[in-house]
Amino acid sequence: MTITRRALLAATAAAGGGLLAACGSNTGRGDGGGGSGPALSQWYHQYGEAGTEQAVKRYAAAYQKAHVTVQWRPGNYDQQTAAALLTDSGPDVFEVNGPTLDQIQGGQVVDLTDLLAGVKDDFNPAVLTPKTHDGKIWGIPQVIDMQMLYYRKSLLKDAGLQPPATLDALVDAAGKLTTKKVKGLFLGNDGGAGVLGGTPLYAAGLQLVTDDGKVGFDDPAAARALGKLHRLYAGKSLLLGAPADWSDPSAFVQGLTAMQWSGLWALPQVQKELGDDFGVLPFPADGPAGRPAVPVGAYAAAVSARSRHKEAAKEYVKWLWVERTDDQEDFALSYGFHIPARLSLAKKAAKLRTGAAADAVRFTTDHGYAQPLLWTPAAQTAYQDALSRIIKDGADPDSQLKTVVRKVSAELDRVKKAS
Amino acid sequence: MDDALVRVGRALRLALLIALAVLFLIPFYLLLRNGLSSERDITSPEWTFFPAELRWGNVRELFDDTSVPFARSLLNSALIAVATTLGTVLLASLAGYGLARIPYRHANKVFYAVLGTLMVPAAVTFVPSFVLVSTLGWISTLRGLIVPTLFSAFACFVFRQYFLGFPRELEDAAQVDGLGPWRTYWLVVVPNARPVFAAVGTIVFIGAWNAFLWPLVIGQDQSAWTVQVALSSFTTAQVVRLHELFVAAAVSILPLLLVFLCFQRWIVAGVERSGID
Amino acid sequence: MSARTVDADAPVAPARAAGEGTPSARAVRRRRALWFWVFVGPFAAGLALFTYVPLLWSVALSFFDAHNTVTPTHFVGLDNYTAMLSDDAFLDSLRVFLLFTAFIVPATYVLALALALMVNRVRRARAFFRSVFFLPAACSYVVAALIWKMSIFNGVRFGLANTVLGWFGGDPVAWLSTTDPPWYWLVVVTVRLWLQAGFYMILFLAGLQRIDPVLYEAAAVDGARPGWTVLRHITLPQLRATSVAVVLLLVINAFQAFDEFYNLLSDARGYPPYARPPLVYLYYTALGQGQNLGLGSAGAVILALIIAVVTVGQARWFGLGRRDADG
Repeated sequence: MTITRRALLAATAAAGGGLLAACGSNTGRGDGGGGSGPALSQWYHQYGEAGTEQAVKRYAAAYQKAHVTVQWRPGNYDQQTAAALLTDSGPDVFEVNGPTLDQIQGGQVVDLTDLLAGVKDDFNPAVLTPKTHDGKIWGIPQVIDMQMLYYRKSLLKDAGLQPPATLDALVDAAGKLTTKKVKGLFLGNDGGAGVLGGTPLYAAGLQLVTDDGKVGFDDPAAARALGKLHRLYAGKSLLLGAPADWSDPSAFVQGLTAMQWSGLWALPQVQKELGDDFGVLPFPADGPAGRPAVPVGAYAAAVSARSRHKEAAKEYVKWLWVERTDDQEDFALSYGFHIPARLSLAKKAAKLRTGAAADAVRFTTDHGYAQPLLWTPAAQTAYQDALSRIIKDGADPDSQLKTVVRKVSAELDRVKKAS
Repeated sequence: MDDALVRVGRALRLALLIALAVLFLIPFYLLLRNGLSSERDITSPEWTFFPAELRWGNVRELFDDTSVPFARSLLNSALIAVATTLGTVLLASLAGYGLARIPYRHANKVFYAVLGTLMVPAAVTFVPSFVLVSTLGWISTLRGLIVPTLFSAFACFVFRQYFLGFPRELEDAAQVDGLGPWRTYWLVVVPNARPVFAAVGTIVFIGAWNAFLWPLVIGQDQSAWTVQVALSSFTTAQVVRLHELFVAAAVSILPLLLVFLCFQRWIVAGVERSGID
Repeated sequence: MSARTVDADAPVAPARAAGEGTPSARAVRRRRALWFWVFVGPFAAGLALFTYVPLLWSVALSFFDAHNTVTPTHFVGLDNYTAMLSDDAFLDSLRVFLLFTAFIVPATYVLALALALMVNRVRRARAFFRSVFFLPAACSYVVAALIWKMSIFNGVRFGLANTVLGWFGGDPVAWLSTTDPPWYWLVVVTVRLWLQAGFYMILFLAGLQRIDPVLYEAAAVDGARPGWTVLRHITLPQLRATSVAVVLLLVINAFQAFDEFYNLLSDARGYPPYARPPLVYLYYTALGQGQNLGLGSAGAVILALIIAVVTVGQARWFGLGRRDADG
């Protein structure tokens, strides 16, 4: 039983053969742009609206100075970009629902301030501010998304109700609109904790983080507003467990609910299915200091600090998201429904001048708030957990909020120390 | 009297079995029913056990959908599952045999090192694994999707247990015939251990076909999507296409069901004689 | 996981018999070592590279402040561990795991055993029944969660569960969104039961096949009526080894629960604070935009330690390793 060299070779060959057979070849990179120059990869999250993917590939193909490959990512986009940014194989250019403060402080994204030289004032300040840290701009807002309350005019009329102007009126209306077949209000399958986020706080005249970087809802008004959300849940007037979540207008147009919180993007579908039988509202004000509120946000184009072609990537971002205003207009308005991030484009858009769309634009200007950059994912989780317990379990809002305030303060201290 | 009682008992047991079988089949039925319905039928407030019309066109629509490369993803999944199964079974069976049969001073230490990894949840090592694979330049390649998953401690463990109980006489006879360990393994051991290969192979195949998180993050390019990733793309950020989702899910489990039905006998035989318990 | 994992079937012993110290004995040893590595080497090398390197890397990360980086520089000692152990959300997730295990382990055990006993005794169509119960094991958690969430247990009137409730005059229930009573447990537990009961049934079936029929005949002679008495005094004791293995596997799998929870309960905005097992919590801490890799790794190490302690403890408790010695 001696081992000959040949037996050893055979052994390694067999073991290696399995590996080789398994490896196959590189599947290669997908379709992309036509330009010469460096190869850039650009990531988008998967938009639901038909045509968006083709559109962004078309924009990329028209770029001459680099070969841009578009990747369309399904699934949890934030998690995928976060993981990819840790490596060299991530994107050069990517859209991001941020960048987050930790991504900026961790040096994962490139400073884009000089790209906006001269046109900075044309970007809607509500969405540009959260992309700005220490006076530098880290992402170019692509389009503005906002959320609002859709309601069925006919159902409210039948119940003898006016569109609710206060949170109390909303709770009341939701209760009265609830029948055996139709629920009063749909705030998402989790009862609203996820999608509402800080909106009720802003509606109570508060904010998530103050301008000087402190917790903005350490106030009895916060507990009062959030407590009212529990009444919605306890009164069984919330739709829960619909097959499609709040972001999809299905529940509303299928008549499962009389009112639904959803995004501006749902407007074309709602219009198509319900015609004139719907209206839109901001989240209603609560309390003496209250004011209506709508959350606004923007995916931004950012450049990865790991990119091998940072300058080329910046140049491409500048070309697409600063110079190509016609593409920006097409992207914002031709597929689904968004508000252009550029004030000049928003003014031009005929589609945004009438009906519910015009209302949405007005809400954005008058009542829009964006999540501040200092509101980190850890703070968000702590707050959202508490909100869910308040809404569903009827937990005491005061004590829940006290815990959140403690956690958020610690988190704010951490990020301030880091900068 | 007694006979009647026994017969009633038997009938009751059969009835219970049938009821349970129906319960277990309901999800499969729902998958088909929804997959062959129109969006409107699925969400109709009036429950119907069978849709008004069976829309086989949904299958066509699924493969014609240019935004999701479903056929390509099926092919990728098949390639990956087959390669992973062959590779895993080969590597793990060799290792299992070595650990069970070749006397070596540190064999037990190696075995415990293998066993220990069974207790570590994959999520623990997820991010470093991802960074490692990306350092190797294997993102969006079949290599990256396959090679890191080939070293299954579970498979190795099952093989070792099986070979521990393997009759030593066969190997002794082979040795008398002058066969070395390598040829003994291939000519004597493997042909007599087919059930355990089938059992482990099927389990690995199912796992590879159903894997989700790793292919999602490694298969960044659409050309490297697996069927599970394609499936998840039907629940997009904003709109859920219910009928397409269900028909895709139904198509995605078909190959597995076939593999399963074909190899079921082997799995049972393999389990009986392996050390899984 | 099994009796045989812990016992020393001692591949080592024969080596000593060859006599130590003499040149020829050393040659034999060297040759055996070489052959051992021919067989085990490729697997061990891969395991080292793709499991141990990331594992040690994770352990290292747990001692650093690693926000959004895998090559951190700021050493923080045990801070991440103390933070994790004083985090109520993490402790909550451990409680969720305990509760889930308390449900799922006995439920799967009983169902799988009952199925095996019935399938084993049935005279007609045994293969058919076995296939039907085994078939769900081929489904992915993604597909199963989809059916459960969208079709059976959705909260509106056209869901299957609510339709059935409606026949009896019940109001629709929002299964996954209701915390009082916690209906979501019904959804989470049934999906896993459906997926895995068949696999454990196969293990039990294999165990039943090995029971010597003589035992039953002897019991019949002693006048034991078939049924509960025989089950308690013959079948169950004879299935002891299988049972131990099934329970161990069930507990380990429950610890690693992620897929069905994630696919049933998460949405684009995150995950509710209930029914959040440890892996899901860690996923949101370390991956996603949370990206606190140091804290996440610390939690993962704590979890792995708990799993190891529980598994080894369970093995000791069941007296594994004695089985073979006992005969």
